[in-house]
Amino acid sequence: MRWDELKQNVGDFIHGYFVSEYERRLREQFVDLNDLFMLQCFMELVGLPNPASIYLLDVYPYFLEEFHTWHRRMGMDRSPIGSMPCC
Amino acid sequence: MRELLRKRILFFGGKGGVGKTTCASAMALAAAKEGKRVLLVSTDPAHSTSDIFEKRFDRDEREVYPGLMGIELDASLEARRYVDKAKAEITRMFSHAVAKEAERQIDLASAMPGVEEVALFDRMSDLIIDRFDAYDLLIFDTAPTGHTLRLLRMPELVSSWIAALSRRRRALLSLNQDIDRVRLAPEAIDPDEDPILRTLDQRREKLEQVRARLMQHNFTGFVLVVIPERLPIEETARAAEILRESNVNVCGIVVNRVLPDDLEGGFYQARRKQEQVYVDEIRRRFSAYPLTWIPQFETDVYGLASLERVRSGLMR
Repeated sequence: MRWDELKQNVGDFIHGYFVSEYERRLREQFVDLNDLFMLQCFMELVGLPNPASIYLLDVYPYFLEEFHTWHRRMGMDRSPIGSMPCC
Repeated sequence: MRELLRKRILFFGGKGGVGKTTCASAMALAAAKEGKRVLLVSTDPAHSTSDIFEKRFDRDEREVYPGLMGIELDASLEARRYVDKAKAEITRMFSHAVAKEAERQIDLASAMPGVEEVALFDRMSDLIIDRFDAYDLLIFDTAPTGHTLRLLRMPELVSSWIAALSRRRRALLSLNQDIDRVRLAPEAIDPDEDPILRTLDQRREKLEQVRARLMQHNFTGFVLVVIPERLPIEETARAAEILRESNVNVCGIVVNRVLPDDLEGGFYQARRKQEQVYVDEIRRRFSAYPLTWIPQFETDVYGLASLERVRSGLMR
């Protein structure tokens, strides 16, 4: 029993040791790309016109969660627009 | 102009007040008289089609003459309708809490400048795609030039924007899948299942379809209406140039309100002499396009009887 647990922990450690750095880089890249994507979807926020604004109306609900993570990462504690009151 | 009856989609454009609506209506009448099923769509905010036909036009198709259906589109009404449709869709698909929050974002977005234009264009796209088979000919009486040119370039602009968004979204999702591969607990969304990507792609497909129809020279054409005066000539020349650059087929120019030959009196003769300068200029500058000349009538074009005179002028 103890031996199985130890084996599991050592296995996880080795996996994490070799893979976590790689995963971290991927995640950073993901976050950067996502920031750009969100910016393109919410251009109104920075005062730029968004030509596709009306075409995005029915995807807004899908964005609620991502939008929250995004504005937190952008250093805005609260939702920057009252109309997306995720927090 | 007679050969233009063989087209499937015609746009009438020109400077404000030159008689776009009259010419578009006369063309629609001509096609209906040939036994074609015609839809006349007025997008001009001035909406004078109902005055010309002396029939009420509506947001939905209604018969204004045997074989001729008419619609008057109102941009702000279309915008409201579009937004309501999006809201209804959201209430259907999401929980009450999400729908309520999203609705506020939608209200903000729908107050943005340009939304009315996009909504109007969206309705025109629906007509071009869904009603194309129901009619032999769709005729659009457009708003003054600048507005119309923007409208025609809209699919290009918006669809490339959406394409960029969808490309980015796809890259994001595939990166997410890469992360999953090295993780022990997968959580990524399959790109084929992503609702955001699916909505974006549907939008783009529709825009591309409209764009393809507008660029089809054999069945879509743009008719410019001009009068023999300085400013309309300049504006028409610019419009023809821009349309050509955007690969829209300018298939004819109607020169409206040309003074007749048989006028007596010093004032008319002087007026006509000045007009002749512009007439010559039109012949010279627009020699690449088929020109049709419509005389100035002694009465306004109002009602079917006078519209009939314009129709026979166009078909001559």
